[in-house]
Parts: sequence; C-alpha cells; structure tokens
Amino acid sequence: MSGPAAWCAALLDPDREVPPGLSTWNGSDPAQRFTVYRNNVTVSLMEALAETFPVCQAMVGAPHFRDLARAFVRRHPPRSPVLARYGHGFADFIAECTLAAPWPYLPDLARLELACLDALHAADAQPLDPDALAAALGRPETLPSLRLGLHPSLATLGSPYAVVSLWAAHQGDGPAPAVNPDRPEQAWVLRRGRAVLVLPMSGGDCRFVRALQVGATLGEATATAAAAASDEDADAAGGFDLTRCLAVLLREQVLTGIT
Amino acid sequence: MNHITTAAALAIALGTAMTIAAAPTSAADTGAKEKCFGVALKGQNDCKAGPGTSCAGTSTKDYQGDAWKLVPAGSCEQTAAPKSPTGHGQLAAFKEKA
Repeated sequence: MSGPAAWCAALLDPDREVPPGLSTWNGSDPAQRFTVYRNNVTVSLMEALAETFPVCQAMVGAPHFRDLARAFVRRHPPRSPVLARYGHGFADFIAECTLAAPWPYLPDLARLELACLDALHAADAQPLDPDALAAALGRPETLPSLRLGLHPSLATLGSPYAVVSLWAAHQGDGPAPAVNPDRPEQAWVLRRGRAVLVLPMSGGDCRFVRALQVGATLGEATATAAAAASDEDADAAGGFDLTRCLAVLLREQVLTGIT
Repeated sequence: MNHITTAAALAIALGTAMTIAAAPTSAADTGAKEKCFGVALKGQNDCKAGPGTSCAGTSTKDYQGDAWKLVPAGSCEQTAAPKSPTGHGQLAAFKEKA
C-alpha cells in the first residue's frame, strides 16, 4: 500500500505509521499533528453516527455506542462527501459485531433510524389529484389493473423485535413506557411535508407496499399481501387490511399517481 | 384469483378509504406546524436535517429564546415557556427575561 491509500489507512488506524513526507510550518512534530487530525476525523464521523442513530445510542448507552461507532468508522469510512447520509451499512456491521451481541434488536433498530434519515432526504413528489382517484373509482372494472405511484420517501421495515415501539418510546419528552422487545413489529416510514412518520402496520400491509413498489398492479399486490397474510399464524402480525392501507396512503398523501 | 382482488372488493375498499381519508382532521392531525421559540429544552431544538448540518440540537440552555421547535399549528402561544416575557412560547425569537 502506498500513496493516497496508505495515507487514508493511516488516517483511520492509530496503529499505523504516520505517512512519510509530512512537514509542519513551525518545525513541530508532524506525527503529533497527524494524530490530532486523525482524532478529529474519527470523532466527527462518530458524532455523525450518534446524530443519525440517537435511539440506538440511548438503548446501549453512550460509552458502548462510541465503541460501536469507532469500530464502524474505521472499517467503513464514508464513500460520499455528504456527511448527512453517512451510516449505510451500520446495521449490517452491528449485526456481525460481537460488541453489539447483548442487544439482538439493535441492527433492526438501526435500520429503522436509517430509514427515517433516508425518508427525510428523499425526493419530493406531488400527491395524486383526488379527482383522478374519483374517476378511477367510477370505472371499478379497471381497478385491479391499476398501478399506483408511491411517494419516494415510503419504505417498509419489519423485525422479529419490537423496534417500532422501542423507537416510539424514545420520541417524546415523557417517561418511556415499558416495551417487551421480543415481539415482531412492522412499520411504514414516510415523509409528509418536512415530518418523517413511522406508522406501525402489519406484515401484510408491508408486503402490499413492496409489491406496489416493484410494479405490481393493485389487484396483484392485494392478492400477494392477502395470500401471504393467510399463510401465517393469526397472531404473527401478518394480517392485511386493504382499506386501512389505502386510507393511510391517501391521508398521508403518499399516492402520487395512477396509471 | 383470491376473492378479495375482484373489482367490486377493490372498489369498496377504495371508496371506504377515500371516505376515511377525507374526514376532517384537526391541525395536529394534518401535520400543520409552526415554529415556536422558547419552548425547547437544551439540545432539543428542531431544524433537523441530519448530521453534518449545524443548527439542530445546538441550543445550549433550556427554553432558549432564539431556539425553536416545531409544534402543532396554534399550540405555540399556549405552551409554557419559563423564560419568555409572556410566559408562553412565541412565534419569533425573543430576549429571555432574567
């Protein structure tokens, strides 16, 4: 390793030699100055992670979170200059990291927090004109073959752990309610105006959205979600409520088009 | 094909959903917000745009008069703000009373 690669490796790894060829204007020790720079880089990235994953930090405590964040920063430095989007891959990293083993729900909690960040920065989109929907409703025979356009911020998330409740418990100023984490939960994450919303939904509701997102028609997506829901145990949160799904899509202005 | 995917079932679901979604909602439900100065605890002020931006969570004391938080529209001037001269949140930055 030489040149820029060696320089970058040394920037993230305190066990590496300071890159050769550094000089300082006043004759002070370049090794010491480089160490300061290395510390600033690492800490600024750790702080960015703490801002993106505040609930993860609250769940494990700041000292443990710093250990996780430092390990991630050194293994996975940013690939983009946009610091506000840093953190992709953090969930997969902590899923493999023995430091995080005491908190099995932590990877999915991180995925939820990252979904919120992605929703915040997703593109804007105009909501569907209600008249277009009324027109479609006037020709019910066309409904099964309709394709629904969805807001770019909409994402689904499911977990064998109660990460949606854990996340919600950390949003208010009041005391956090007790949450049993060993319970599957699912949510839709979306942005309305400037506010990111995390809406608890069923597994079937999430499958419905994912089918629509890959281009299924309304009829196909409904069949997919309903069939999968009926295959599961009734209490496995697999239920699918088409009316509720459509009402939420309309109320939160997530529908952006019909074709 | 599953019975629920028939055109009639979809029409009923969509019609019901449109009725539910069109029901009148309060300002809090519609997501209308206003900037409210003087009501945020330290480090809890809004304008969050993700890490690397400078303004969110930067207030250094509770109820700082030039730090704001988004609150449901209409609720700001009903919210207690201990350091505000009016005793409540304000829609513009203010000088905190001693």
